[in-house]
Formats: sequence, structure tokens, C-alpha cells
Amino acid sequence: MGFEGAMPEISLSINGAPVTGTVEGRTLLVEFIRETMKLTGTHTGCDTSQCGACTVHLDGKAVKSCTMLAVQADGAEVTTIEGLAPEGEMNPMQQAFNDHHGLQCGFCTPGMVMRAMALVADNPDPTEAEVRHGLEGNICRCTGYQNIVAAVLDGAKALRG
Amino acid sequence: MEEFTYTRPATADDATGAHSAAEDAMYMAGGQTLIPVLKQGLAMPTDVVDLNRVGDLAGIQVTGDAVTIGAMTRHAVVAASAEVKGAIPALTVLAGGIGDAQVRNRGTMGGSLANNDPSADYPSAVLGLGATVTTNQREIPADEFFDGMFATNLEDGELIKSVTYPIPEKAGYAKFPNPASRYALVGVFVAKTAGGVRVAVTGAGQDGVFRPAEVEAALSADFSAAALDGVTVPADDLMTDMHAAADYRAHLIVVMAKRAVNQANGQG
Amino acid sequence: MSNVKIGESLRRVEDLRFLTGHGRYIDDINLDGQARAVVVRSPYAHATINSIDTSSVADMDGVLLVVTRDDWQREGFKPMPTKSGVKNNKDGTPLSQPDRHALAIDRVRYVGEPVALVVAETLQQAQDAAEALDVDYDELDAVTDPVKALAPGAPQLWDDIPNNLCLDFELGDKDGTEKAFAEADHVVSLDVLNNRVTAVPIEPRGCIASYDASEDKYTLYNASQNVHANRDTFAEVLNIDPAKLDHIAPDVGGGFGAKNSGYPEPPLCLYAAKRLGRPVKWINSRSESFLSDTHGRGQSSRVELALKADGTFMGLRTTTIGGIGAYAWTVGPFTPTGGSARTQGGPYNFPAMYYSGKAVLTNTAPMDPYRGAGRPEATFQTERIVEYAARKLGFDPIELRRKNLMPKEMLPHKTPMGLDVDSGDFPKLFEMTMDMVAKADQAALKAKAEAAGKKYGFAIAPYLECTGGGPKEHAGVTFNKDGSVELAVGTSSTGMGHETSLAQILAAALGIEMGRVKFQQSDTTATPLGGGHGGSRGMEVGGNAVKQAADEIIELAKPIAARLLQSETEEVDFEDGTFKAGASSVSMNDVIEASQDADKLPEGMEPGCLNHSSVFERGIISIPNGVHAAAVAVDTDTGTVEFLGYWVMDDFGTIINPMLADGQVMGGVAQGIGQAFLEDIVYDPDTGQLVTGSLMDYGLPHADEIPNMEIGYYEGEPTKKNPLGVKGAGEAGCVGACPAVVNAVLDALKDDGVTHIDMPLTPQKVWKAIRDKGAHDPKALLGDAA
Repeated sequence: MGFEGAMPEISLSINGAPVTGTVEGRTLLVEFIRETMKLTGTHTGCDTSQCGACTVHLDGKAVKSCTMLAVQADGAEVTTIEGLAPEGEMNPMQQAFNDHHGLQCGFCTPGMVMRAMALVADNPDPTEAEVRHGLEGNICRCTGYQNIVAAVLDGAKALRG
Repeated sequence: MEEFTYTRPATADDATGAHSAAEDAMYMAGGQTLIPVLKQGLAMPTDVVDLNRVGDLAGIQVTGDAVTIGAMTRHAVVAASAEVKGAIPALTVLAGGIGDAQVRNRGTMGGSLANNDPSADYPSAVLGLGATVTTNQREIPADEFFDGMFATNLEDGELIKSVTYPIPEKAGYAKFPNPASRYALVGVFVAKTAGGVRVAVTGAGQDGVFRPAEVEAALSADFSAAALDGVTVPADDLMTDMHAAADYRAHLIVVMAKRAVNQANGQG
Repeated sequence: MSNVKIGESLRRVEDLRFLTGHGRYIDDINLDGQARAVVVRSPYAHATINSIDTSSVADMDGVLLVVTRDDWQREGFKPMPTKSGVKNNKDGTPLSQPDRHALAIDRVRYVGEPVALVVAETLQQAQDAAEALDVDYDELDAVTDPVKALAPGAPQLWDDIPNNLCLDFELGDKDGTEKAFAEADHVVSLDVLNNRVTAVPIEPRGCIASYDASEDKYTLYNASQNVHANRDTFAEVLNIDPAKLDHIAPDVGGGFGAKNSGYPEPPLCLYAAKRLGRPVKWINSRSESFLSDTHGRGQSSRVELALKADGTFMGLRTTTIGGIGAYAWTVGPFTPTGGSARTQGGPYNFPAMYYSGKAVLTNTAPMDPYRGAGRPEATFQTERIVEYAARKLGFDPIELRRKNLMPKEMLPHKTPMGLDVDSGDFPKLFEMTMDMVAKADQAALKAKAEAAGKKYGFAIAPYLECTGGGPKEHAGVTFNKDGSVELAVGTSSTGMGHETSLAQILAAALGIEMGRVKFQQSDTTATPLGGGHGGSRGMEVGGNAVKQAADEIIELAKPIAARLLQSETEEVDFEDGTFKAGASSVSMNDVIEASQDADKLPEGMEPGCLNHSSVFERGIISIPNGVHAAAVAVDTDTGTVEFLGYWVMDDFGTIINPMLADGQVMGGVAQGIGQAFLEDIVYDPDTGQLVTGSLMDYGLPHADEIPNMEIGYYEGEPTKKNPLGVKGAGEAGCVGACPAVVNAVLDALKDDGVTHIDMPLTPQKVWKAIRDKGAHDPKALLGDAA
């Protein structure tokens, strides 16, 4: 039947490492990631699930970690921006964002990169229109998107090898 | 967010049991509407019964004459389903246009229907195709399921298990998104079935999803976009908000109906 | 040899931490023992506060402190000052500045105004207590529209400010302009709305305050784009010595003006931190941000253009009523007055101009700079009336513009608005833009639109703007023994990439490797003064401060080089990172190394002697200018607009890093497009409640709504107003975008009789304009108020 009482204990994998923790039922996944796990690369930019700054991967799929309870990630594999390039290097998508000036203030960037990675995992060779449409869950206020789109197309190419 | 007791049942029976045992419980399906609602304090249940681990609520079954989709099937799964696309392509169009990619990875058909947001997409498919909603208690025909804005005829604690959509001859869905939220400002589902033409409009009606008689009549005579030239929909019972007044919504219903018909006819 | 040059598109050095999740934004910082604060905000647009009962929450779990107006009055804290560039009414009397306290004292005057600060052990506890705090109000009538607020009988926000008029301003030659209008062959007039919007940086505002009793010292981490000015404001409010307040901005997730102002929350948290003896952290939610961040634009204007029969411009007259919110914020009164006056008339040759503007108090959130602050409004007003006149009088809009641009020979020129236009070549940029557009094949674009059943529209919009913001900037350079070079500057990058561009200027000037430069900004301890960010001043003032410091370091280094070269200081020249005297040479790197070694230094010089600080002061503001052009397809069935092309030619003077300049233009254009089509702050006119209080109703542009832009730069006319020759790039994008895209849509609808639609051009408004066959009252906004 699952959890009784207000403080479930959860076990999951974050960026490949096993993690256990006690949460409240109402604890959001983003709160668990940022406050309990101290992984502050995942950001909160709104409270209505629109900006996408909190995007992480849940079992390989992009989700908004502000619109999911932490307890719902029990048993799942979660990847955050910190898990894309654990050695402090940049992966090809991150490198493409750097090459194309696909970020300015950097606040939407982790969510944008996580979404971009999921997008190209589903569609390794997207068109520009597919990229633009595919980023509809992520808002950037700095770049005007042009360089983000260029970065995603280039990152996709690099990831195709 | 207010505190609540969280339960995570593994079966539908456990879910309904947990719901009825609690003082004021809510089911959580994909949570893409409910979690923001909880965050804003617009709902303060004592208990949240999470349906995400209930085993037999997700999945797609296509038979000769119907597509049955489990309540907890996520929008992304429906959108990507070759089987659904082969049977009722308009359903994949609809599911693929809900929210955004991240929302589609969590949001579910059953959650969307139980909430009956007046600007949600799925209610138009259920009503437009004359689907049947199967719950833990009974089967509810589409025409009897919806009961006005954010309301359905589900009993307290009644759980949607699946929806069975009869496969039409053809169908189409066209949505005009709210420029800010991207919810449907007007969404029109059209279906040509052996039993006749059905049209359902979401996003526009003061009482939620509805069937526009004028559009259905015109398309019943001639299932083509041209048949809708000159057809008007009365604005009286349509919503007005800062994004669209009733007259604009009335106009968009006809425009979106034409686009849905063209899509159904393979012309766009 | 230098590895880097000015003009090179260097990749950004700050990107690595942002892309790997290691940026350090305000909410990423947590101090030991910190408490959490939540602001209790007014639910009413206008109400008397009868009482605040703190006993209602004192016993709640975790509650540590509730700060109210009683504390503020007992402590004798001061109101926050306005620093408006225009301080006097046109009759010479001072502007009416109501007291703006961090907490409402007698009345609340907008929804979201801070009424109390609740501090608790945890955020949840603070939120619960904030919700439970019992505040008793008597609601009063509210007015949110500045035109209505000026009218007789309107609700009065302040007992001592008649008609809610904060500032009544004029600029230009009133009589001369009247004469020009009297002698004109044609006069056209149109009321134009510049819709109220807000910046929505994706990172909400927030701060952490702490107090060290042993040293009587405060530290404030704050998502600010202006730490020095804000420090002075907060210190003034709290009656403390500014030297006792370290103000530090960590990585800031966008600003666009909305993180520039002196906000109430930081002084509240500073006070709470002192009271509690522990750090206090406050982070705004997005919903609260809509209520409490500064808004921008929000001007209703009557624009009048006088022309000769052949289309020659004779005069321009603009009358603006601008809301500024319930108080005169940091520079709020300036924007609809002096800020919008200066660039009236754009790059056109106007013999006569007159501007009058009223800054009006309304029961709405504060108004302060939003990217451009006055120049987007002025450009929009000018370009709309030019387009409108062309349509009305039968001129080709492109030809009418071409005919009236100031010829190059006219420069330098002081406009009738007093703007010192020193350099530029407006006709050349116009033709360069038209050449870019021509390559895109207009006929093909039109055919594409029409094949899709849509209407094609095109417009071109020249703009002329000016820089602003703090005129002084500090750059300090420290050479460390490990070879690293610290560069501390008082500017504040909130995403513009100063960590790269300012380091690039230093590295290029000194001829050292970029990798050696360690950049520091937004720290009042690291730099004694700084102007933060605003007014496109980053490269213009900050860049020149770095350049000046570098040039002075080169002079300081020459005696060292002379000694190494066994020459005389006067014989030493410096170029490309190398000191030369006759045939021998020594690199800057070697000279820097020698500067740390007493044995290698000339007599009287000490190790570390190259460490140097410099303050650059701007003389006259610079004049960025350029041309935007847009091609659109309008779906007349739904009123939606799709872009077919977007072109920009900019004269920003010298371009430091073209890739970063592109980023500024692209982002600015996107914000302009957002304002033109989506963004709209709407208050309920009866209750004063904010209707667009979340991203569900306040639309921001998404990736599929912004076109690719083709961007070019003209560097043939660098300004002589500063050593680098830069003119500023940060705001120009949103200055040019609104008129280009709005006029393009109106071009598409010209055969439908549509002459004007007020922004934002939502699908509904476009559709209604078509349906109503353009029926439009050109005096719709101001009526007889102008």
C-alpha cells in the first residue's frame, strides 16, 4: 500500500549514485535535489510549471522537477545537469551551447540543456522547426533563442558522431 | 504547499480504499495540474492518493473497432503510439499538442478527464468520438460524463480506469493555443463515424466541452471545410477573458473546425 | 604577443560553470544558522491599514520575528529616495515625491505592497505565518490608469499631491514647434500606447542579509544589478554608514532593469538579521515577482507630425501620460519625462520638436527602468507616426523615411531635444539594411505568405538611442605572484558576459593571455565605486575604465621595461604586448614578472607596483543607432502573425566581441517582439487587482515565436566620446523591434483599412481590427487630456 504517515523514506539514483532520504509527502523533487542533495544546478524560475528551468531526466525522460513530488521519484534514476559531465568537462551539447553563445545569464540553461539532451535522444537529427517546437516547455529571457537553437542543432550533430 | 498524507497504492482497489478511508482525499495522476494547484493552495486535501504505481491503469489496446487507453497512460506515450496513429491519428495529434514535452512525459489522459479543465484537450476527443469511460464502478458514455467546468459525473472516489474510443472513419483535431499558457483557447475535435458526424469544442464553453450543433449539422451534410463557410456559432454561452472575448472564440471555433476537417480529410 | 584582440568572438569563460550546474545564484547560497523571511503583501490596491496584530502569529511554530511599520517608525528609518534625473516640474517647482518606506505605514497603495516581514526557522513556517498574520484594512477606491488618475474626481493616492501628478515635464521649443505645425501642409496625429510590461528575469529576486555585531558590520548578498547605488540607498534608509555594509551580487539570472532599483526587501532583511543576530534569507516567488518587481513602459501618448507637401518633416510634438506606480521609485519619474524625450524624432532631421510628459501616480506596482527605459517608447512613438502619416498621406513609408534621415554631413548635430549626435551615417545604415533585405527576395517571401493564405507585410524602422546609467566606473587590476591577474570592475553583468568581454579588453590591451585574468564584479568591497548595469553602459563606461587602467599600467610598466632593455623610459614603445626600445624588446609578461621582483625593478619601485586602479568618467552619453526591418505573414482567419524575416544593422561603434553583441541584439529583439505581440501587464480597473499575475496569463515568447535574425554591424563611425569608440549595445534590440514588427503587421493589413492597433498585437486584437475594417479613433487614449 506504500507509505503511511507523513514522512516517507525514498531510495533513488541521482546522477548514477544511490541516494536515500526522508521526505514529506509534499516535498517537491526540485526541493529534494536542491536542498537535500545540494545539487543547485537545477533551478526554480516559476510556480506554474511554465519556465522549465527545473527540468531533469527521470528514467531518461525530461520532466519538470517542480511539478513532481520527490516521493514519486522513489526507485527512479534521476539525472541533473551536474550528471551530464561529471568530470567537470562539457559534453557535446554543453560545448555546443558554449560555441554558439546559447546562454547569457545561465539561469534557464541547465533546464534548457537537459531538455535539449532529451530532445535529441528522441530525435537525433531534428530540423530547426522541430527544435524550436521541442523547446516549448523552456523559457529563456536573455538569448532570443536563436543561438540556443543553433546550439541544439550543432549539439545533436556532435552527439550523432 | 499544505501538508497531506501521501499514499501510493499498488492496485485500483487499494486506491479507492485509501480514498474512501481518508477525510478529504484527492487522486494524483500525472500531477501536472494538481501539483501547481496544491502549490497555490487552491486545493488542500488531507490525503493524496498517488495512482502512478497502480499496475493495471496504463496501456493501449487497439481492436478492430476501438482504441482503449488506460487512464494512467501518459500523453507522450499516446502521442508516440504507432497503433493509435494507425487507428485514430487525431488522438496522437491531440496528445502530442498538450502542454509541452516535459508535461507530456508526466501528464495522463485520466487525470486530464477527471479534472475537466475547460481548456484541456482530451475532453474534446472523448466527446467528439463518443467514447466510453470505464471506471471502477461502471461504464459512462461520453455524453453523460462531463458536467460543466471542472466537473464530471464521477462519484466521490470513483476512479477512471480506461477510456474506449470507437474508431471513426476519420477524425481531426485543431487547437488554437492561449498565447500565454498555451492551453486551448479553442480546440475542436471532429469525427466522421458510421453513426454520423460528431464535433466537440474545448476551451471555449462556459460549461466546458460541448458539441456545437451548427457545425455538426453542416458537416453532417458535407464533411468538408467548405461546408463550414458562412456557418456561425452563437457566442452567448462562450467564455470571455483577457485573451479572447466570446465573439472571437465563436469565430475561432469555425476556423479550427475547418482545420480539423481538413486534417481529417488528409488535406493539411 | 597578445592572444586576443578587440573584435574577436571569444567564447565565454563564465559558460563552463553555468553549463555544468555550478553557477552560484542567490538561492544557491545558504549561510549557517539562516532564518527564512516571507513578505506579507497587500491584498488591496488601496486601503487604510487599521491594525496589524502580530500576536496572531507570535506563537506559531518556528516564528522568530515579525517586522511591521511600528518597528520602522520606532527605529526612525528613512524613506527610499528617488534618484530621477529630472527633479523639477516645468514651472521650476520640485517634483512631488511621496515617502516610500520599505513597509506601508498608513495606507497600502498597490496590490503586493509590503506590509510586514515574517521571519521563521523554515520557509514553510514563514509562509504559514505570513498567511495567518492578521492585518485589518479599510478598502479605498483605487485608480490604475494614469490618464484616469489625472482626471478630476479620481481617487487620490496622496493627500498632498493634487491629481496624482508627480512630475510635469517639458522639453524642446514649444513656440517654434507650434509655428512649424501652423505652417505645415499636413498634420497627422495619433494616440499610441506603449503597453505596460515587466522584465521577468527567469531568476526571481532574492537576498541574504547578515550582521556581525562584533564589528557592527552588515553583509548583503543580493540578486542586484547595481550594488553600489543600492548599498547607499539601504544604508541611508537604515541610518548606517555605507562603509559598514558589504553588498555583493553573486551570479545574477537576468535583470533587464528589474534588479536595478532600491527594493524594500533587502533593508527589511538587513534589519531582521540585526534583530535576530542570524542571517535572514528571502527569495521571491514568481507570482510575487509579478506583483512586486518593477514594471516598465506603460505610456499613453499623442504623437503629432507636421510635414511639407513633399513629405519633408517640419515638426514633431509628443504628449505623454505615463504611470509610475504608487510611489516615485528609484528613477521612475524620469522614464516618461526626460527618459522618453531625449531620442524623440530618431535619426530624422526635425527642425522643431516639443515633448511634454506627465509622470502620474497610480495604484499599481512600481515603475522603473525596463531595458531601454524611454528610448523604446520614443522610437515607437516616432516610427508609428511616420508610418501612419505615410499611409494617411499616400507616401511610400520607405521613401518617406529615406527622404528625412539626417544626412551624414549634418553630424555632429545637436537635436532639438538636446541630444549630442556626434557620429554615425544613418542613410548608409538604411541602405545597408535594404541591401540585406533585398537578398532575402521580398517577392518570394510574399508569394510564400500568399500561398499559405496569409497576408504579407514589411516594415523598416531606423532607430537612434542613447546610453545612460552611472557615468563613473572603477577598474582595479592586481598582478599576483602566481601569474594570475585580478580584474575588479564596478559594472554588473547579469548575463551580458563581462567576465569575458572586460577581460578581453584588458588582455588585448596588455597583450597577456585571457586565461590569466580573474574577473570580479558586483562587490562593494572589491571596488570602491561602481555604476552597476543600466543604460547599455557595460562596454561604454566599464570597458573604457578597463582600457584606461590598462593604458595607465602600460605607462607604469615602461620604466621596468626600460631597465630590462637597458634603455630609457622615454625610448620605450609598447605595441601588441611587447615593449621595444631600438632593436631590443621585452614582453609584457616578462615585465609583469619583473614587477614582482625587487631585484629587477628600477630604484624607487616596489614589487606589486603595477597594481593599479582607475576611474573612468563618461563625458557625454553615446548614441547607438541602426535600422531594424521585419517581414511577416498574417493569418487573417485567426489574427496570428508569423515571421518571414528579420534584419538588423547596428552602429554600436567599436564592437568588442561580436558574438556577445549578437546576443544582446537577439535578446533585445526577442523582448521587443514579446512586448509587441504577447506581454501585457493588466490590472482590473475597478479593483486594482493584477490580472496577469503568472506566466499562465502573462505571455513570454517561446523558441517557436522568435525569428532568426540577420545582424550586421557598421564600425565606420566609432564615437570619439570615449577611447574605445564604443556606443553601447545592450538595449538597442528592444528599441528597434517594436516599431519594425508592429508596422510590418499594419503593412500587411493596409488593404483591410487597418491603420493602427495598440500593442500587444494579440491574435484577438489583430482579428478584431480586420473584422472592424480598421475603425479606429486616433484620439482613443488621451481624448481631450492632451
